[in-house]
Amino acid sequence: MKRPGPLLTLLAGLVLAAFLLTLNATTGTRSASSSYQEQSPSPAPVRSSQASPTPAPTPSRSGAADADYAGRTDDDAAAIAVSVRGGRAIAYFCDGRTRESWLKGDVEDDGTLRLTGEHGAKLEGTLEDGKGIDGTVEVDGTRHAFAADRAKKPSGLWRATATVRSAKIDGGWIVLKDGSQVGVVTRDGEPSPAPRIDPETGAVTVDGQRLTARPVTP
Amino acid sequence: MTVDPNAATQGFPGPGPAPRGPRPARYLVPALVAAAVALGLGAYGRVHDPAGTAFNLAGFSSTGAVKSWLASAAMLLALAQPVSALMLYGKLPGPAWAGGLHRWSGRAAFLIAVPVAVHCLYALGWQTYETRVMWHSVLGCFFFGAFSAKMLLLRWERLPGWLLPLVGGLVFAVLTVVWLTSALWFFRTFGVTT
Repeated sequence: MKRPGPLLTLLAGLVLAAFLLTLNATTGTRSASSSYQEQSPSPAPVRSSQASPTPAPTPSRSGAADADYAGRTDDDAAAIAVSVRGGRAIAYFCDGRTRESWLKGDVEDDGTLRLTGEHGAKLEGTLEDGKGIDGTVEVDGTRHAFAADRAKKPSGLWRATATVRSAKIDGGWIVLKDGSQVGVVTRDGEPSPAPRIDPETGAVTVDGQRLTARPVTP
Repeated sequence: MTVDPNAATQGFPGPGPAPRGPRPARYLVPALVAAAVALGLGAYGRVHDPAGTAFNLAGFSSTGAVKSWLASAAMLLALAQPVSALMLYGKLPGPAWAGGLHRWSGRAAFLIAVPVAVHCLYALGWQTYETRVMWHSVLGCFFFGAFSAKMLLLRWERLPGWLLPLVGGLVFAVLTVVWLTSALWFFRTFGVTT
């Protein structure tokens, strides 16, 4: 018990870290809950009518059945795909030109999703009995409502990452039910429209390099 | 005159637990705390869902810029550590306040690094999708463990002479790599922006 200095230093760091974390957590929940309130009136009645046929105490694992969902935003500006596995979800928002966002998070027991991505991207939605997802997605400060239906292979969410001539390539594709594709390839952080993938094999040629896109799971 | 066996001995002020506890405890406790801190941070970063964002400071374009500048400030202060340590050990000529410089530059560097780590863990979490990112995750967690061990070791007297320089040097080296894989990368990729 000779020198209290080092211990005080550690404690000061701990207190500072705890203070910053509470600051983060409180501001985080406040913004999330306020935006959640905006859209809660619409999904709430849907969910209650949906919940009555299925017995209530079969939540997460069966309610959030492993599945893929793909669809468009209501304003038709972008496509969105969500992949759900074991209570976790990953989503991809993409307009096929320059805007894209990967989001991930948990599926709550009641089938609500609240996913987050880089630069404050947010997705809030409700799993509609395994048939689809209704919700809103906010990317780069603009909010879009969307509806995504259950997708069967090859439609769904695909991703390819590689390094081509020292440039880091990250491509994401959403293959929709009608066979159309929406994708963005990011080269060293520069997004641009993506070439089509072969929906059977995931093969795609980016900058002369043959890559293989794979279905995305969280 | 009887001697109280529990009385503090003059000459060398023994540490509290040392007479009773075996010698290894002196190293075991800091080592265990270091492991717990490093693993705890890593586990939190891994389990916690990255929020993607966190508080930002006014006047900065992005949280990445804030972090890079804070980390660079910490790195600059940390550079004073090996220099002042050499002064303390008499390897370099130094002023009488070298000890104060060593303590306070270290404290300041640590306290500046804490918000950076909180942001990393809260907003980004444990990531391994790239070699750079993987080493940053590993060493970022390791740094705070090693730093905790260094702080706890300081409280014990009569350690082997090589131990503190070794652990201190390790902490400094790890911080350097953490800085190289984050702030320097950020400045090289996005330019030196605020």
